Amino acid sequence: MLKTKMKQLLTALAISTAMVSAPLATQAADKGANNIEAGKKLAFSRSKGNCLACHMVPGGNLPGNIGPALIAMKLRYPDKQKLYDKVWGKPDTLVPNSMMPPFGQNGILSDDEIQKIVDFIYTL
Amino acid sequence: MKKTLLVALTLGATATANMTMAANMDPEQSRQQLVDYFKAKHPNIKFEDYRLGAYNFSEDKKAQWEAAEEFPPYLDAIDAGEALYNKDKATYQKCFGKDVTKVRVMYPRFNEDTQQVETLEQQINKCRTDAGLKTFKWKKGAIAQLSAYFAYNARGQKIDVKIESEGAKKAFFAGQEFYIKPRGQLNLSCAKCHTYNDGRKARANLLSPNLGHTSHFPVFRAKWQELGTLHRRFGGCNKNMRAKPFKAQSEEYRNLEFFEAYMSNGIEIDGPGYRE
Ligand code: HEC
Ligand code: HEC
Repeated sequence: MLKTKMKQLLTALAISTAMVSAPLATQAADKGANNIEAGKKLAFSRSKGNCLACHMVPGGNLPGNIGPALIAMKLRYPDKQKLYDKVWGKPDTLVPNSMMPPFGQNGILSDDEIQKIVDFIYTL
Repeated sequence: MKKTLLVALTLGATATANMTMAANMDPEQSRQQLVDYFKAKHPNIKFEDYRLGAYNFSEDKKAQWEAAEEFPPYLDAIDAGEALYNKDKATYQKCFGKDVTKVRVMYPRFNEDTQQVETLEQQINKCRTDAGLKTFKWKKGAIAQLSAYFAYNARGQKIDVKIESEGAKKAFFAGQEFYIKPRGQLNLSCAKCHTYNDGRKARANLLSPNLGHTSHFPVFRAKWQELGTLHRRFGGCNKNMRAKPFKAQSEEYRNLEFFEAYMSNGIEIDGPGYRE
């Protein structure tokens, strides 16, 4: 438990340093865009979201086909909070025997990382 | 009981629910249900072809596999296995009998005295220890070569694991429980990949059905560039699930092998095999 917390802290730190190193003037305005970009990285990274293992995601290579393609998310999830809950793995969103990992519930990703991923897939 | 399978299939639910119920049934019913489940899921795959694993789902990959099997990269390993056998022949003959074609089919089996599952690799090392010889390392190298030699000599015979006691039944169901229980950070189970989602792709990797999983081990994997045992593979899959792997030849993996092999009864032994 402690170890995952540490890991989350460290990644959170790494990400905020990356953002700080962006030019200060553009930072505020581009915060949304930065989140989306960071979310994309997290979604595609094998050690983080690794969503491509199971989902076709526009812009990603060699996707698996275990889960549905992540497209038209706004249409399927008019309520963005519901999409967050699904990725987080809130109990009422779980499908029995599904391969979809409960990312927040099991501490695979931090709440902040999940938020960024949701910001990203919400653009798809 | 037949009803549970049909209900599971028509609901689009999978064998797991059905296999959990199987916990208070007998292993043969469990096996038959799995065979029926795959028959309904993949009507075009012949029972005997389940030894081909994931290659059943891609003509391209099957063609690559066939090409690899023409000049198989594991031939040297079989020769090495034969040399190892001849080096300590008297010892092995004392443990396994004089006929090398009859060794692979004996395992895995349940030993009533120890109330434990015995596997081929475990018994190779036990045979060596009992004779005062040094044990081999598990998972690869000499043990896989010798195992490959026994498998090669048993090719064409069918997997025939027997469950004839309460103890054996218990070991089988312990293996089944391991197979269907989600574990690790990703909340995955063996069944999620190899029973629910076989034929689908995780990234570019086609997932094999568990029926036929043990037929061709040890395996020469292109990724390893050498032979590896079944328990090496179990460990690899456990790691991919972000779950702690158990030790090769631990009780957990021996029970899992017992379950996997029993479920594959009737499939031809085809080891050593080639896989990506
Ligand atoms: C190991 C496989 C696997 C991984 C990895 C995975 N998913 Fe899934 N996902 C599934 C499966 C299977 C489903 C369909 C069943 C369900 O809803 O649980 C699903 C469903 C979903 C849904 C609901 C889709 C809909 O149409 O309602 C969303 C959204 C989603 N996944 C997002 C993600 C994101 C984002 C990631 C990466 C951070 C991810 N998934 C990683 C297997 C996976
Ligand atoms: C996240 C998905 C996933 C999970 C969970 C998983 N595996 Fe695998 N497994 C694979 C992939 C991918 C391969 C390589 C392709 C193939 O042959 O299926 C593989 C291969 C295998 C093979 C070799 C098949 C062959 O034909 O040579 C065996 C045996 C196996 N897995 C057993 C298990 C067991 C037992 C578990 C649970 C402890 C497990 N797997 C969990 C993905 C998974």
